[in-house]
Amino acid sequence: MNFNEFENQARLYVIGALEADELEEFENARKKFGKKGEDFITKCYALHEAFALSLRPAKASSAIKERLMAMVKAKKEA
Amino acid sequence: MGPAKLIASTRRKPKKRVRLARSRARPVTVTAQLEPGAPSDLDLMRGIQAGDPDALSQLYDRYNGILKALILRVIHNEAEADDLLQEIFMEIWNQAKNFSAQKGKPLGWMVTLARRRAIDGLRKKQAYARAEERLQNETEQQPDAWVHNATEEEIMLSDTRSLIRKVLKSLPPAQQQAIDLAFFKGMSQREIAAKTNTPLGTVKTRLELGLKKIYDGLKELRDEL
Repeated sequence: MNFNEFENQARLYVIGALEADELEEFENARKKFGKKGEDFITKCYALHEAFALSLRPAKASSAIKERLMAMVKAKKEA
Repeated sequence: MGPAKLIASTRRKPKKRVRLARSRARPVTVTAQLEPGAPSDLDLMRGIQAGDPDALSQLYDRYNGILKALILRVIHNEAEADDLLQEIFMEIWNQAKNFSAQKGKPLGWMVTLARRRAIDGLRKKQAYARAEERLQNETEQQPDAWVHNATEEEIMLSDTRSLIRKVLKSLPPAQQQAIDLAFFKGMSQREIAAKTNTPLGTVKTRLELGLKKIYDGLKELRDEL
């Protein structure tokens, strides 16, 4: 696998769309490309941010934050 | 919901390269723009790592709307999305020590976590629905058998959102659909091929081309990508 093919696979990898056989091949290529490959995978995760930011924010119930902070407080005090 | 809700419209646009607003007065970033003096996402993550509940509170105010939209996009149920949102922020609190700024930005980490949890929730629901359907079928075949689911956080996201949407909308509908099913439904290439009645190789090509176009489009949104 050359680096161009690795880039294509990395974009599929970060969204979990690689098939099992491709995943094995990708992991081997990942070892081969080392830091350069890892840096590219990290950049690909920006796709996640972009997909999320493309959505119009939804309003959460006001009770959710109260419950969350109460749980955090309880956990911290435990 | 339609298959390509990743993008608001599935209408084909003229095939031209999307030029993003390099000439805009304000610098364009993929992440949210904050009020002057507000702590950065990374500051808040460090606060959470140090056990500061106020940092979590601020991060919640900043991103609950985005994360809930993502969860809703996957599971389509308001009450379940609220519950999941709470669980995800609790996981952010519990797992903050695993966040590394060298491996990406806080929002990316949170979105990855939220998406995984939402897709897990979707799969459980689907498994439950399939079990329920099987039970229903068995019951129908054996009638005498036993029978017995922010505030807007003052973040100025509209420019960023519209620019990202512009990138997404520039894709052909088939590529939009494949990416939508992979990202928001957690489907594998084979599952997408089966669902859309499309050859596996075609699905792979659609995903590769679509993701590359989005990635390249995002590069125009921020230099560091």
